[in-house]
Amino acid sequence: MSFNIDPYLTLGIGRDASTEEIKSAYRRIARRLHPDVNHDSLGATSQFQDVTLAYELLLDPIRRREYDSQYNRRGNESNFFFNLRVTPSKRSIMPLKEPQVVYLLAEILPDPRARDQDQTQRESRLNLTLVLDHSNSMNGTRLDKVKVAAHQIIEQLNEHDILSVIAFNDRAEVIIAATPVNNKQSLKAKISMMSASGGTEIFNGLSKGIEQNRRFLGPKLVNHVVLLTDGNTFGDQDKCLDLAREAAQQGISISAMGLGQEWNDEFLDEIASITGGTSSYINTANAVVQFLNDHVRNLSNAFAERVRMSIATDPDVKIESAFKLAPHPQPLTTNESHIQLGSLQATRLISVLLQFQLPANMPIGFRSVARLVAYGDILSNQQQQFQALSDISLEITDQPSSEEPPVAILDALGKLTLYRMQERAQEALATGDIQEATRRLENLATRLLAIGEESLAHEARAEALRVAHTSNLSDQGRKTLKYQTRFLLLGSSEDKAE
Amino acid sequence: MIACQYCSHQNREGVMFCEECGQSLHAVAERTITVSPTKRFDQSVADLAAKVTWGTARFGHDAFIIIHIRDATEPIILKPSEKLVVGRADNTSSTKPDLDLTPFGALEKGVSRIHAAVCRSEDTLTLVDMGSANGTHLNGQRLVPDQPRILRDGDEIRLGKLVAHVYFK
Repeated sequence: MSFNIDPYLTLGIGRDASTEEIKSAYRRIARRLHPDVNHDSLGATSQFQDVTLAYELLLDPIRRREYDSQYNRRGNESNFFFNLRVTPSKRSIMPLKEPQVVYLLAEILPDPRARDQDQTQRESRLNLTLVLDHSNSMNGTRLDKVKVAAHQIIEQLNEHDILSVIAFNDRAEVIIAATPVNNKQSLKAKISMMSASGGTEIFNGLSKGIEQNRRFLGPKLVNHVVLLTDGNTFGDQDKCLDLAREAAQQGISISAMGLGQEWNDEFLDEIASITGGTSSYINTANAVVQFLNDHVRNLSNAFAERVRMSIATDPDVKIESAFKLAPHPQPLTTNESHIQLGSLQATRLISVLLQFQLPANMPIGFRSVARLVAYGDILSNQQQQFQALSDISLEITDQPSSEEPPVAILDALGKLTLYRMQERAQEALATGDIQEATRRLENLATRLLAIGEESLAHEARAEALRVAHTSNLSDQGRKTLKYQTRFLLLGSSEDKAE
Repeated sequence: MIACQYCSHQNREGVMFCEECGQSLHAVAERTITVSPTKRFDQSVADLAAKVTWGTARFGHDAFIIIHIRDATEPIILKPSEKLVVGRADNTSSTKPDLDLTPFGALEKGVSRIHAAVCRSEDTLTLVDMGSANGTHLNGQRLVPDQPRILRDGDEIRLGKLVAHVYFK
């Protein structure tokens, strides 16, 4: 059996560790991750399985020798790697009689050597599926722009890439079955034939799209589905989410793009978060071309694919939220055993901000908080699976520290707070608390103004008024606030229009 | 609990921006978030690396490393050679570390004889755990033995229970 995770790394021990050291490392980890003590954390359960496998392998002298010789044969010199670096908001913490919050900034950094590598050398090839909405509402400019965008994408691809295109309304039709991009003209012609009719039912389109993508599913490929829609789907959302989970397991990521005002943002966000894709709001038809092109260009610059992170908190620590800050801001779900992070590009890092709650009455001393493992498939390595581990522990001390939190965390949190504020305003609105929602939107407007985001502040102010008068947000305002506050995390908004 | 000074909302300890009104709960934070547009994210990884941690990773040719060991009166100032082994000298073992931490209570704090090493490569320093019994931590992250990590100005390192801060000069 080939063992594709590094058992030494998993246990955090050196390659020359003795049996005693292996046992004590295992016991130390098991005390934190064993399902008997840590029933709430799915991450802990899955990490514990890995740890147990690693332990069993290393305790078996024959299998250990086999692994070691395999490892030595492979040699380490030419293999690429990535790093997981975690920065806590505080390195030492006061013991308190109440629970407290700590943030961790987790960054996955590509191998510095990959940056200098020529892009043509890099073996990232796309297996791309476009799932395009051609319902009635797409008629006119929208569909035209989508066609232009699809044509340009075909131009970007070459015979090593795989493309499939699905058009859907209330039915789904395979316009281009998954094929290497050889004859660009004929592929383009097929796209040009699309015409608008019917309603929007996402499930059919998505399932056909994933089916096409799966035909060429491969470890050397960036397997990606782009879903572009301008409408709301009814009744099949849960089926879509199940489909997305299945796709994520097989290593397919899905990016969801909503055009115009009528689509369901929560739904598309969730699809993207489950699979490690991104979800975006495209305001006008004109922006579609640029947007899709950029998206595909970024995909083809992948260094590692199927990047995911598992977070095992100590039994008394709770993870409260996770948010991907870069390369594309995206809220993440923490209730799966692995958080899907999509692809790691050679020149950008992935960074995730995690919020934890620590228990009250922690004894003075050093204590562990969480164990983070990042997994990913490095495309140009022979043995692609790679993992990096980070075991976080902090000091509990009654000597107050004068240390300032790292700027990167403060900066991200300041902006993330704005995103959370609009989220909470919408939550309040959903429960019918108009006053609360209005107040939160007004607070948001104040903060936006304070950081110099004038037009967005006006939008928030206008929506606050609208809520006060009509008890509802406008579709456009709601999406603008949500995606623009999220966008603030990118730093500067022109980043997209590169 | 910390009360927000703008809206008096009660926030949990550790929260940095009021969960109610978004105002900073951290006195110095204001200055850092109102800075002009943040750097673009697609800059080189090295640039980013410098931005996101406590300090710079660049360690010049003539630089000194200053190690502040907690509870010690005097910092240790060194010019690191290629490899500086940190540990605890002991009569029973033949190998001696380059930096002996015995005077700083190394034995009680669980520092191994050969605990960790600071290595110099081009213009960076790396910290590597040499298979110590009680582990080496860098800013709270436990190091995997034999896997070097880049050291930055202001980093906190912990050998067993011995805490030290590292500065470059």
